[in-house]
Amino acid sequence: MHAQAPAQAFPMTGTPDARTLATGQLAHEATGGDLDAFEELVRRMQRRVYGFAYQHLRDLDEAHDLTQEIFVKLYRNLARYDAERPFEPWFWKLAANTTINYRRKRVPTPTDQSADQATTGPESGFPAHDPALIDALAQLDPAYRLPILLHYYADLPLEQVAQSLSLTVPAIKSRLHRARALLRNSLAESEEADQS
Amino acid sequence: MTGLACARVRVLLEPYVDGELEQTDPETARAVRDHLVTCSDCRRQHQQTVSLPFRMKALRSPAPPTTLVAGVMSSIAPQPQASRAAWGLLVPEALLGAFILWYVSGLDGLTALASGAWVNLQGLAFWGSGTAPLPSVPVADVLLLGAFITLTAIAAYHLSLLAKLDQTVAPRLTERRRA
Repeated sequence: MHAQAPAQAFPMTGTPDARTLATGQLAHEATGGDLDAFEELVRRMQRRVYGFAYQHLRDLDEAHDLTQEIFVKLYRNLARYDAERPFEPWFWKLAANTTINYRRKRVPTPTDQSADQATTGPESGFPAHDPALIDALAQLDPAYRLPILLHYYADLPLEQVAQSLSLTVPAIKSRLHRARALLRNSLAESEEADQS
Repeated sequence: MTGLACARVRVLLEPYVDGELEQTDPETARAVRDHLVTCSDCRRQHQQTVSLPFRMKALRSPAPPTTLVAGVMSSIAPQPQASRAAWGLLVPEALLGAFILWYVSGLDGLTALASGAWVNLQGLAFWGSGTAPLPSVPVADVLLLGAFITLTAIAAYHLSLLAKLDQTVAPRLTERRRA
């Protein structure tokens, strides 16, 4: 994925099958009122968006709600999408903003809960295969967790993470370094605790 | 260059692992490398730093619920009931509008309506001052007034339904889903 070709790189002839279009082109079609294109866009993005929401919230129901909110917000904001520009950075910026606002609305957040609850509790509903890392991520401030998830989990290049969070690339690099250092310290502490 | 302290090395581990330190400050990068050879604690931290991005990428998430796409699509689709109600209201509006137009029926009707209203108001004023009995208002005028009030109420309700529909559907998006 990464950098996407602008929508204009795929000239339209007639009404092509939505399944054959790139995400940017699907967004362009959806902006014109094509609900099939929008549905295909949701279908293509759902796994990454849901995974991102789940890793951020560590709760299946909350992840479902957030994912749905992101896609509904995408639909309502499609008119603002500039088809001259790549779709993914624009989309992830919207997703990041929705996530930040969603967290503000939630009381309490999972990071307020204990690390044990965040990783293996019944509210998680999904077995963690790297519980130490998940504990460490849960304890991370959202300002650090978001760039980490966008870069390493959603697989966005640094430039797109920077655009998504309205920061410069050096600022994102610095935030990622700091986040990784915090995770590393947290992992070292949990290893020490396991050994003692 | 003298050896680096552990605290300093740990601050530099991320840029060192990313290769940025080698590019910006090769001498310090060499000092970090030398330190790692001799310090087992920092070596462990270095291993964590190297493995962390891979562990992050390997994080697993549950598959999205099968109902997710349908849920999104139903959230954005106009509510059929509200849509039907919005269209259905056009019928009484058209009937009331036609009745009012038939009653008014052009310039003559409008003039007659205005003069009738003026006479009725005058009659009411005389009745109020006690100089004349209560005027009798024609039944058709009462019907017209009732039709006008009803039309206004239905139109206001219609507008509220349309406003709700507008919140559901993005301004530029029109329903043209292909079968």
